Amino acid sequence: MEAPEWVDNAVDLGTTIMAVEFDGGVVMGADSRTTTGAYIANRVTNKITPIHEKIYCCRSGSAADTQAISDYVRYYLEMHTQELDDQPVVKTAASLFQLLCYNNKNNLMAGIIVAGWDKDKGGSVYNISLGGSMIKQPFAMSGSGSTYLYGHCDAQFKPGMTKEECVKFVQNALALAMFRDGSSGGVIRLCIIDKENVERRTIPGNQLPRFWEG
Amino acid sequence: MENLNRGGFTFDLCKRNDLIEKTGLKMKGFLKTGTTIVGVVYKDGVVLGADTRATEGPIVADKNCEKIHYIADNIYCCGAGTAADTENTTNLISSKLKLHQLATGKQPRVITALTMLKQMLFKYQGHVSAALILGGVDVIGGVVTPSLFTIHPHGSTDQLPYVTMGSGSLAAMAIFEAFYKKDMTKLEAMTLVADAIKSGIFNDLGSGSNVDVTVISQEGVEIHRGYEKPNERKYRSNPYNFKKGTAPVLSTSTLEPLGSRIIIEDVTMEG
Amino acid sequence: MAYNGGAVIVMTGKNCVAIATDLRFGIQHQTVSNNHPKVYRINDKCFIGISGLVTDAQTLYQKLVFRHNLYKLREERDMTPQVLSNLVGNMLYEKRFGPYFTEPVICGLDTQDKPFISGMDLIGASVYTEDFLLVGTMTPAMYGLCETLYKKDMNEDELFETVSQCMLSSIERDAMSGWGAEVTIITPAKTYKKKLLARQD
Repeated sequence: MEAPEWVDNAVDLGTTIMAVEFDGGVVMGADSRTTTGAYIANRVTNKITPIHEKIYCCRSGSAADTQAISDYVRYYLEMHTQELDDQPVVKTAASLFQLLCYNNKNNLMAGIIVAGWDKDKGGSVYNISLGGSMIKQPFAMSGSGSTYLYGHCDAQFKPGMTKEECVKFVQNALALAMFRDGSSGGVIRLCIIDKENVERRTIPGNQLPRFWEG
Repeated sequence: MENLNRGGFTFDLCKRNDLIEKTGLKMKGFLKTGTTIVGVVYKDGVVLGADTRATEGPIVADKNCEKIHYIADNIYCCGAGTAADTENTTNLISSKLKLHQLATGKQPRVITALTMLKQMLFKYQGHVSAALILGGVDVIGGVVTPSLFTIHPHGSTDQLPYVTMGSGSLAAMAIFEAFYKKDMTKLEAMTLVADAIKSGIFNDLGSGSNVDVTVISQEGVEIHRGYEKPNERKYRSNPYNFKKGTAPVLSTSTLEPLGSRIIIEDVTMEG
Repeated sequence: MAYNGGAVIVMTGKNCVAIATDLRFGIQHQTVSNNHPKVYRINDKCFIGISGLVTDAQTLYQKLVFRHNLYKLREERDMTPQVLSNLVGNMLYEKRFGPYFTEPVICGLDTQDKPFISGMDLIGASVYTEDFLLVGTMTPAMYGLCETLYKKDMNEDELFETVSQCMLSSIERDAMSGWGAEVTIITPAKTYKKKLLARQD
C-alpha cells in the first residue's frame, strides 16, 4: 500500500501574498489556501501573522518553517522590546527574519513579507526572499501566485496612493492571482496597519473583484 | 555498564542497518494507523473521533486499537501516521505537560500542548511521522474556550472549527463540508463525528472496524470506546474441535518455578 | 525480515496462555540448526517470543534479562507482562531511526492470574488484543488459521491443540520456518512445554 501523501508532502503555502505602503501605514493582503499536494488542508488560513502590536508578516513557502520562524521572531522581538522599553521598529523585525532565513537557508523554504507601522518611518514593507535577502520596497509580492502579478502591479501601482486606493490595489491583484494560480484561492485576508489601529478584513470568495473570465 | 538515565533517540545501529539493507534484505514495514481521525467544535466543547484499524502493509495488524490519546484531563489528541510515533509523541508531551502543571499549579492549556507538540515535530523535520488532531477545553481570562487544532508531521498547525486527518481525511471532510453547522448540540456533534468516521471506515482501505468518540467540555470528559460498531464479527462458528492428543507430542517437560530471587555474591579482596 | 526465518504465536484461553514457536534457525535458505526456539522465559509467569533477525533477538533478550534483574533488585518482585511490554516498547522506540530487526510478542499471567498478550512492531508500537497475536515470516497464512480456529475461553488442553494446529499448519507452507515446534502453556498452577513432531524439510 502506498503511503498517504501527507506523510511525505510538507504542508505548503502555495500562496499569493503582498503588502503596500501608503502615507502613514501599510496594507497587507493574502489568499487563504494551504495545500498538501493536491489536497486543500485549510481553505480559510490566516497567513498574515502578528509579530508585534503594529508589526505583522505575510508567510509563503513551507507552513511548518514559516510558523517556526515567526514564533522565534515574535519571541526575540518581545525580549528586545522589554530591553528597549519602547515599541520596536519594523526594520528590527525584518532583520530578525533575515537573520534566521539567511543562516538556515539550506534547511528552510520561506518567503516572508514583513510590514507594519513605527514612529521612525511610518508604514514600511520589507521583502525577505528565499535565500535570505532583505529588500525595502514600496510594495512587495511573494508566493507562487505573485508570478502572475508583476506586470499588472507595475502598471497599476502609483506612488502616494491613499489607504483605500491601496486596499483596492491589493484586492484586485490578489483576486487576479487567485483566479490564475491553482495553489492560491479561498478568501482574501487583509490587514491595514497605521498609527491609530490595526484593522483586519476578510473578503469572502463570492465577493471577490471579478475580471475577464473567458 | 549501560547508562539507563539517558533520554532521546540512539542512532548506533543506523550504519549497520544501512549496510544490511544494501545487501538486499528488506526491513519490515512499520505499523501504521492508516487512519480516519476527526474533530469538531460544538456549543460547549469539542468532540474527537477515530476509527480503530492499524495496518502493517496490507495486513490488518490490530482490529480494535485506540487512537484517541490522553494528554491531560481537559485535553485529548487523535493520532495518525506511524503508530509508534503517535503513541510515543503524545505520551511524551502528556508527561511534559503534567510536570508543567505541577510546576505552575494551573490547569494546562491547549495552546501549551500545541506549542510543545509542534516544536518537537519541527525539530525532527517530519521524520517523526505523527499527524495529530489536538482538542480540549480550557479557561482563559475566566472564559471557557474550546479549541481544536491539526498538527502535521513537519510541525505546522491549523486552527479550525472542524478538522480531519489521516488517509480517510478526504472521505470524512466530505461529510463535514456537507453537514457541519455552527453551535451544534452535543448529540448533533457526536452524530456528525460518527458519520464522518464511518465515511472513512467504508470508503478508505486504511481505516476500518469501530468508531471511538471522546467528548471534552467544561463538565468533564466522556470517553465512548466503541461508540458505534458497524463491523462486528457476527459469526465465529468453529466446527474444528481437536480432540485431546491430536497434535503429535514428542516430549513434555514441566518448567520448575525460578523463584524471584537473584543471587548477589559478596566479593572479598584477596590477601 | 526474512533472513533467519521463524514463526511465533501467542494465544489466550480461560485462565491460561500459550506461546508456540518453530525451531528452525537458518541463514537465508541454508538451515543451520533445528533446535532454536524463539521463545524466552523472563520469569515464572512471563514469556517473550522474538522473531526476526536472530542477532538482534539475542541482543534484545540479553538487555531484557539485565533490566529484569535490576527491576527485581529494586522492586523485590517479578515484572508483570504489562510492565515488560512497556519496557520492550520503550527500548525499541529508542532506536526509532536505527531499529533492531525484531518483532516481539509477550505473553503471561498478570498479578490476578489474568491472561495478558501483547505484540509490537520493530520500533515498539504495541498491539493489545484478547485473542491471539503472531509474528514471523508467514503471517498471512497464520492470521487465516488463527482467525478460523480460535475460540473464546478454551481450557488449557483445547488451547494447546488449537495453537499446535495453527503452528503446524502454517509452517507446512513456510519454507523459512519449521523443523519442529514447541508449545509452552502457562497456567496459574504450572507451566509446561511440549515438543511437537513436525516435518523436517
